[in-house]
Amino acid sequence: MGLRAMRYVARKVVLFLITLWAAITLNFILPRLMPGSPVDAALAKLASSGQPITNAERRAVEIQLGVPHTSLITQYWDYWTSIVHLNFGTSYSFPSETVAQTIGKAAPWTLALVGVTTIVAFIIGTLLGVYAGWRRGKAADTSVTLGATFFAAFPPFWLGLLLLYVFAFTYGWFPIKGGYNPGETPNLSLSFLTSAVYHSVIPALTLAITSLSGWVFGMRNNMINTLGEDYVTFAEANGLRTRTVALLYAARNALLPNVTAFGLSLGAVVGGSVLVEGVFSYPGLGNLLYIAVVNHDFPLMQALFLVITVAMLVAIFIVDVLYVRLDPRVRQ
Amino acid sequence: MRRLSHAKSMTICAAAVALALVGVSCSSSSNNGTTGSGTLTIQGDSGNPTLVENFNPFQGSQLHGTNLIYEPLEIPSPIDGTYTPFLATGFKFSDTKTLVYTIRQGVKWSDGKDFTPADVVFTFNLLKKYPALDGRGVWQQITAVSASGNDVTMSFSTPNVPFAISIAQTEIVPEHLWTNMADPTKDPNTSPVGTGPFMLDAFAPTQYSLKKNTTYWQADKIAPAEVLFPAQASNQSTNQLDVVSGKFDWSYNFLPDVKTTYVARDPAHNQYWFPPGGTIGLYLNLTKQPYSDVNFRMGLSLALDRSTIALKAVNGYLDQASMSGLILPNLKKWLDPSLPNQGNVKQDASAAQAAFAQAGYALQSGKLVKNGKQASMTIVMPGNFSDWVAAAKEVVNQLGSVGINASLDLPQYAQYSQSIQAGTFDAAIGGFGGTGDPYTDYSLALSSSFATPVNTPTANNFERFKDPSVDQALSTLASATDSSSQKQATYALEQVMYNKVPILLMYYGGSWGLFSTKRFTGWPSAANPYTLPTSYNNSLLTVLTHVTKA
Amino acid sequence: MSIVSPVPPPEVPGAGVEIRVGPAGPIPGPLRFLGRALRTLWSNRKASIGLVILGLVILVAVFAPLLAPHSPTATTFVPYQNPSATNWFGTTGNGQDVFSQMVFGARISLLVGIAAGAMATLMAVTIGLIAGYRPGVIDELLSFMTNLVLVIPGLPLMFILAAYLQKRSVWTIVFVVAFTSWATGARVIRSQASTLRTREFVTSAVFSGEGLFRVVFREILPNMTSLVAGSFFSAATAAVMAEASLEFLGLGDPNAVSWGTILYYAQQQNSLLTGQWVLVFAPGLAIALLAVSFTLINFGVDALSNPRLREK
Repeated sequence: MGLRAMRYVARKVVLFLITLWAAITLNFILPRLMPGSPVDAALAKLASSGQPITNAERRAVEIQLGVPHTSLITQYWDYWTSIVHLNFGTSYSFPSETVAQTIGKAAPWTLALVGVTTIVAFIIGTLLGVYAGWRRGKAADTSVTLGATFFAAFPPFWLGLLLLYVFAFTYGWFPIKGGYNPGETPNLSLSFLTSAVYHSVIPALTLAITSLSGWVFGMRNNMINTLGEDYVTFAEANGLRTRTVALLYAARNALLPNVTAFGLSLGAVVGGSVLVEGVFSYPGLGNLLYIAVVNHDFPLMQALFLVITVAMLVAIFIVDVLYVRLDPRVRQ
Repeated sequence: MRRLSHAKSMTICAAAVALALVGVSCSSSSNNGTTGSGTLTIQGDSGNPTLVENFNPFQGSQLHGTNLIYEPLEIPSPIDGTYTPFLATGFKFSDTKTLVYTIRQGVKWSDGKDFTPADVVFTFNLLKKYPALDGRGVWQQITAVSASGNDVTMSFSTPNVPFAISIAQTEIVPEHLWTNMADPTKDPNTSPVGTGPFMLDAFAPTQYSLKKNTTYWQADKIAPAEVLFPAQASNQSTNQLDVVSGKFDWSYNFLPDVKTTYVARDPAHNQYWFPPGGTIGLYLNLTKQPYSDVNFRMGLSLALDRSTIALKAVNGYLDQASMSGLILPNLKKWLDPSLPNQGNVKQDASAAQAAFAQAGYALQSGKLVKNGKQASMTIVMPGNFSDWVAAAKEVVNQLGSVGINASLDLPQYAQYSQSIQAGTFDAAIGGFGGTGDPYTDYSLALSSSFATPVNTPTANNFERFKDPSVDQALSTLASATDSSSQKQATYALEQVMYNKVPILLMYYGGSWGLFSTKRFTGWPSAANPYTLPTSYNNSLLTVLTHVTKA
Repeated sequence: MSIVSPVPPPEVPGAGVEIRVGPAGPIPGPLRFLGRALRTLWSNRKASIGLVILGLVILVAVFAPLLAPHSPTATTFVPYQNPSATNWFGTTGNGQDVFSQMVFGARISLLVGIAAGAMATLMAVTIGLIAGYRPGVIDELLSFMTNLVLVIPGLPLMFILAAYLQKRSVWTIVFVVAFTSWATGARVIRSQASTLRTREFVTSAVFSGEGLFRVVFREILPNMTSLVAGSFFSAATAAVMAEASLEFLGLGDPNAVSWGTILYYAQQQNSLLTGQWVLVFAPGLAIALLAVSFTLINFGVDALSNPRLREK
C-alpha cells in the first residue's frame, strides 16, 4: 500500500476511535439526563424481583445508570472499567443471567439476519440501480424508481405482518415465529442450520424489500452522473457500444460512492430489524430491545444501545478501510 | 461485462442454494412437533421470553409440566369441589381440628424407590422449614404432621374444615432426594423425580418434552406416550395465529370470535369451552391514598359500567361479575339473598360523585380534584393478556368521564407478577376466586395473614387488605360444620365485598379451553365439566388422566 | 433591492433555483416565491403526483369532522365487525368505527410528519449554516457532532428515548423524532454553505458592509432553498415512518387516534385472525402513500437542484 493509502487508513482509524469514545460517552450521559431517575426505577424493580441481587450486581446497574452522591468523574471512570470488563449488570427481564450473557446469545441471530439482508439488498438494489440509470427516462427506469420508492415507504413491520399472514399463516410455507425449530438447541449441525435459514427467510425478505431503495437510488444517481462524465463521452466517441461503456466503466466507477452509503443503509436495516424481529419473535437483538423497552428494563436498554452503536461504528469503519482496496486513486 | 456477469451468476447461485435449503427444511420441519401418534402437544407455557428450566413445584416460576411430574394428595374440582383421589385414597376429619389422610400403597417414584407416608410428612415439614415455599399458607393453619401406618395426620390450630382443599393440593416430593437439597427455595430442580404420570425427557428454551412414566400407578389410564410443551411467543397475536393453525391438541389462549376463527377451520375436530374460571377485578394498592379510603373505592365501583367492560374484554363470551365475590350462577347456593340485584352493581354517575365527595374530592371542569391535584391511576397488567388490556382500556375511558386520569402499564408477565407480589404497584388487573370453594376464594384474597408489608413478596392478598372483622368471619366459616352456619358466615364475607369494595370486581374471566379431537378425545366440555380447561395448574393432571386416543 | 446572480454552473448542486426579489407588488414576496416553486415542482411528473397525494391527505385532515360519519373514539358499535353499511371499514375490537379513525388519523400522522420534519430541518439549517459559515473550531465541533449522530442508529435511539420519557403524548414523538433526524440535512447544508461562503456574491456582500444575519439570511439561505426543501421532505418522510413505528410498539400516546395506533390495535386484537383485512391494509397503505408523496415531491426538488436529474 502506498503512503497515501496508509495516511487515509490512519485518519480513518483516528476518526473511528474518537467517534467510538464519543458514542460511549453519550451512552453514559443519556440516562443521567433523563427525567424520573432511571437508576432508582431500575434498582426498585430489581429489589422486588424475588431473585436475590448481590451487591456487585447492584453496583453494576448503578454504574450504568447513575450512582447517587458520587462525582461524575468517578462514575465515568467506573463506567469505562465495567464496559471493558463487559459487566453490564443484571436485567430484570432475564434475572437468571447477566445482561452480557443475554446479549451474547441474541447477537449472532441479528448479525446473521442483518448481514444476509444487507448483502442481498445491496446486490439486488445495485443491479436495479444500474439498469435504471442506464435506461434513464424510459419505461424501465420509471417502473424501477416508482417501484423502489413505493416499497421503501412500506413500514417494515407492516410488510412483515402481511408476509407473515400470507406465506406463513395462510399457506403455511414458512414458520410463523422463532429463529429455529422448537426443541432444538443452537449448535452447528446441518439440521439446525437449515432450520435457522428456513426461519430467517421471511424476516430477511421483509427487511431486504424495505431497504432496497437506498441502493437503487444511490446507484442510479451515480450512474447518471458517471454517464455524463467526459471519459464516457470519449469512450463512446471511440466507438465503444453504449452498453459496454455503461456496464464496464460507468457501473464500476459508480459503485464506489455506493459503498460508503452502506453506513446509512445499515442504520436503516438495524432500526427496521427491531420491529421485524418483534413481529416474528425472532431471537435477535431487535427483539431484546423491544422487550427491554416494553418492560422499562433500563440496564438491558443501555447495554443494547451500546452494543448496537459500537457494532455499527465497527462495520462502517471496516467498510471505510475496504474502500482503500477498491479505489485505486487512494492506493497510488 | 465480466464483473457484472460474475455478480449475476453469484446471485443466481445464492438463490439456488437458498431454494435448495428451503426445500430441505420444508420436509424436515413438517415433522416438527408431532413425532408420532402418541404425542400430545399443549400450548400455553411461556418464558421470559424463552423458557427457563424450573420444575420446582413450590416456586411460582415453575413450568406447567411440573403438574404432570408431581402429584398432590387429592384434587378438588375447581367447578364444584368434588375430590379426585391421587396419592391419598381418602380423608376424614376425626374431629374439627384433626385431618387424617389414608395414603395410597404400591406407588413408586420415577427413580424406582417406593413412595411412603414418610414422604408426605417430609414434604409438609419442608414447607414449615422454608416458609417461602408455602405458597398456600398451610402452616398458618396446621401445627403438626405425623405418619402412622398408612395414615398421615395433621393437627390444626383452629378448626378449619374448608382448608382441606389447600392441604389436599400440596404436591408431594421425595424425601430421599430433597433432604440433600442445599436450598429448595432457589433450586430449579432440573432433574425432577416424582410419582406422576410423566417424566422429563428433554428441555430446550423453546420447547420441553415429557415422556410417559411406565411405572405410574395408573399407567393404563394414560393415553399419550409423550407430552410436548412448546414455548409461547411474547407476542399474543402470534400465539393466536399459532393456535388456529392446528398444531396443538390443547391450547389455552383467548381468541376473538372463536367460532369463526377456530371451530370453522376444522369443524369435525376443533372444539372450545370457555367456562367462567374466576373473576377479573381492578385491584387497588390499599396501602396508598386515596385507595385506602372506602368512599373513594365505592365511588370507583359506582363509576364503572361493568357490562360494557365485559363486552369489550371477552367479546360477549362472559358477563359482568357480582360484587358478592361469587361466580354466578355456579355458586348460586351461597348467595346472600339480601344483596340487591344479586350483588350486581350498575353504573350510577351521581352516586359515584356523592361517594367521591365523601372522600374529599370535587369535580372541577371535568377533573376530579382534591387539594388541587387531579385523581390519577396507573393500571398494570401483562401486555399479552389481550382481554385484560381491552378491559383496562375501557376502564380508562370510563374513569376519564368521571374526571380521573388513568393510564396503562403493559410489561411482560414476570414484571407484572413481581410488582403485584411486592406491593409496589398503583392499580392492577388481576384474577379473583375460582377455586370452587367460597372460603378459599375469600381467604386468599382478604385474609390479613397474607398481607405482608410493601416490598416483601406475597402471592395472595397482594392488595394488602386488612380487616379484623373479615379475619373473624373467615375463621367462623372455617370452623362451621353445618350448612346454615356456613352460609351465614359466607353471607358476612359477601357483605364485606359488596360494601367495603376491597377489590373492584368487573367481569367473569373465562378459562379459554381450545381442543382438537384429531388425536385425543375426552376433553372437558360443557357436557362433561369434570374440571376447568386451564393448562397451567393441576387440571393438567386431571385432564391427562381422562383423555383417550381418538 | 439587489438581484442575486443568475444560475451558477451545474456542478454545484443545490444552487439551481433562480431567485428574483423584485419590487414589492400586490402579492407579498414569500407567497410569490412559493407560487413559483409550486409551479416549477408541478412541471416534474413525479413531483406532481406527490403533490396531488399530499393535497388529498391535507384536505382529508382539514375537513375530517365533515368527512367522518362517526366519532373516532366512541365505542358504541359492535366490536370485530366486517365492513358494513354503518361502518364502511368495519369496527375495532373496542367497537370503534375504523373509517372515522382513518379520517381523523390523517391529522396526527400529517401533523407529526410536518412538525417533526420542520423541527428537524430547522435544527439542520441552524447547525449546518453555523458550521458552514464559520470555519475553524466551531465547524470542526459541529461537524463531529453531526457525524456522531449520523452513525448512531436512529430508530433504536428513538425507542430508548421514548421509553425513558414517561409521559406519552404526540409532542413527545415529535421531539424524539426531530432530535434524531436532523443530522443528514445538517451535513448537506453545511457543505453547501461552506461552498457558497467563498462565492463572489457573498464576498461582495460582506465587503459592502452587510451584517452577519443579512449575509446569511439574504444571500446564502435563498440559494439553498431547494436543499432545505429537500431536507424537509426527507425528514418528513422519516418522521411519518418513525411515528408509525413508535405507535405500533405502543410507545406513543395510546389515547391518540393516528394511523399508527390503528395498526397497534389491529395487532393487539389480531385483525388478521378475525379476517378484518382492512384494519391492517388501510392504515399501512395510507402511511406508505403519505411517505411516498413526500419522496415524490423530493424528486422534483432534487431535479431542481441537479439539472442532470431533470426529466428530458
